[in-house]
Amino acid sequence: MLAAAACGHRAAARDATRDATRDATRGVTRGVTPGLASAAALARMPWDSVVARARGSTVRWLLWRGDPAINHYVDEWLAPRLAMRYGITLDPVDAQGPAILNALVVEREAGRTVGTADLLWINGETFHNLRREGLLAGPWARSLPAAALVDTASPIVARDFGEDPAGYESPWGRVELALIYDSTRTPEPPRTYEALADWVHAHPGRFTYDQGFTGLAFLTGLMIHLGGGASRFTGPFDSARYVAASARLWDWLARARPDLWRHGAAYPQGVAQLEHLFANREVDFAMSYNENEVVSKVRDGALPATSRAYVLRDGALANAHFVAIPFNAPNAAGAMVVANVLLSPEAQLEKARPDGWGDGSVLAVDRLPPEWARRFARLPADARQVPRDTLARYAEPEASPRYSELLQSDWRTHVRTGTTEHPSAGGDPESRTTRPALRSGP
Amino acid sequence: MTARASGSAPGAALAGLVAAPVVVGLGYSAAAAIGLAGPAARGLSLVHIDRVMRDATVWRGLAWTIYAAALATALATAAAVAVAIGFRGTGIGDRLARIAALVPFPIPYVVAAAGAVLVLGQSGLLARLAAAAGVIHDPSGFPPLVLDRPGLGFILTFAWKEVPFLTFVAVSVLATRGQQLEETARTLGASPAATLRRVTVPLLWRGLAPAVVLVFIFIAGTYEGAALLGPTDPLPFAVATYERYQALDLTLRGDGFVLTLLGLILGLAAVAVFEWTRARAERLRS
Repeated sequence: MLAAAACGHRAAARDATRDATRDATRGVTRGVTPGLASAAALARMPWDSVVARARGSTVRWLLWRGDPAINHYVDEWLAPRLAMRYGITLDPVDAQGPAILNALVVEREAGRTVGTADLLWINGETFHNLRREGLLAGPWARSLPAAALVDTASPIVARDFGEDPAGYESPWGRVELALIYDSTRTPEPPRTYEALADWVHAHPGRFTYDQGFTGLAFLTGLMIHLGGGASRFTGPFDSARYVAASARLWDWLARARPDLWRHGAAYPQGVAQLEHLFANREVDFAMSYNENEVVSKVRDGALPATSRAYVLRDGALANAHFVAIPFNAPNAAGAMVVANVLLSPEAQLEKARPDGWGDGSVLAVDRLPPEWARRFARLPADARQVPRDTLARYAEPEASPRYSELLQSDWRTHVRTGTTEHPSAGGDPESRTTRPALRSGP
Repeated sequence: MTARASGSAPGAALAGLVAAPVVVGLGYSAAAAIGLAGPAARGLSLVHIDRVMRDATVWRGLAWTIYAAALATALATAAAVAVAIGFRGTGIGDRLARIAALVPFPIPYVVAAAGAVLVLGQSGLLARLAAAAGVIHDPSGFPPLVLDRPGLGFILTFAWKEVPFLTFVAVSVLATRGQQLEETARTLGASPAATLRRVTVPLLWRGLAPAVVLVFIFIAGTYEGAALLGPTDPLPFAVATYERYQALDLTLRGDGFVLTLLGLILGLAAVAVFEWTRARAERLRS
């Protein structure tokens, strides 16, 4: 049965490759109106029919454009191939999760049934909120031919912050939270959270975390560890668990605070500011929610050449990132074709190259045709990266986005302002004031 | 009647066009602030207003923003007045000084703020120079001027950025009205000091006041500079507003609209001051 399944997946890969080759030989047909069929309706059509509708169209893709390595992959590798094989013009537009959600809410309120974006790069809280608000089209992702190659056995890829994507988003890549240190400054970095606390006390003013997404991921990972590990944070949000685990987190932070950079009275706005402090030797650690990013950052001169990434043995948060189609996408067919190309072995391999973006693959190597499996195995390694087996050993899936939401809110209200009283939130923020009361979960 | 009062119908239409986005934004913000619009809107509710009003961090942030914007504006005004009065001649030195005061003009605000981080940060140029000169043991001993609670880096950067605009206005005021009035005062027997005190400075202040108010409004509302240079606590008002508008928890985003309305009230108050100062300046000219 497994053999049959593997054959099926290999067949899907062959089909995808053949489809691309056939399309390339047909040449580009421009000016075709993509049609306004919904993604869910398209998912029930034969794939050839979806491709025909996508041909010659433009796909506007909202994604984060803040990393030159990612931009290079999208603009220089992906876009030309989409144009050559499908006649699709890719229109990448800079936008991140909160902005995407706000824009779609406004479009919905304005009654725009035909919107402006076709594809979104999202995950975690953004997916959760977009789904909750009914702003995503679907289900469609499982109908992609290349979806058969996805590593669905991995909880990190199969779920998005503990939530079932349910076909409303298609995986694109996976990353793991890594600390970055300078091997000349800190030859023996702390390997556990406890050792990190000791290190912070022994090196006052040399450690901090940022107020943005990466810093929040660091705090979430620490909370999960202090709360008993990832196995206790699977499933839906548990208010009591949050209260107990976050109390331990606030204690940890309160003890560390006097020895943090600027005595914990100031924090970098985002990870870019943290990297700047690290590169300028103001602090001895940076962070990245991409274990391979250190390579491109060193290559770009943003980090010292002796920078190294590593993960803590207590567990390192890992997550997948996805692409989704908004409820009012004018070109869902084009978006689906792009999502399928993003999942192809060729695109995933190119994306994983450490001398490029270095983003992890979401494909199951054992489902790939042997030739592609060999190519993935031969991917060059960089000494600055975390070894792949280490990444796999310590990877832990994200918990429900509700934990991060409350953590962000409570950290801002109490830890950032230096309030000595512990926040004890966990309830409905509609009822919360600056001093949250212990409540049951939403 | 309205058109006649404002000068012309096209003028009134243009003013309406300019004001329309603000009016629409105000309406949307008001609706979102009471739970009738925006992400996770659940119907009429005063929870956002209540939460913001009871949040001490909001008021501390607002107070810090007013303090920092006022101080930066005051410094820039003082520098502009000094340049306008001290270098008003036609000699090469005076011209060079006036040009030097205009140098920050073309530099984008975000570039100025990023540059300030590189110069004023504890690992920045000044810290390294001070360490090299032996003034401090190592760069980390340099006083924090970025992300600092007094907001020195923010204030210095924005004062520096606003000097050109205010200098430009101050020089124009003196060039168009100053010389004639000063000569009249001197002819009537006023000493140079008295002329400066009784004619030049009041003239300059009244002509400059509207621009000063505008500069204050701009600095108080700036986001990029506040995010790069302002303190973590109190959080500058613009940063706090944006942060709530982008909160992961959708139910908190309505708070951002309440803050937007508060910022608008602050702006309207400053505009009222602006109109008052402008009216005074007009009366002076007439």
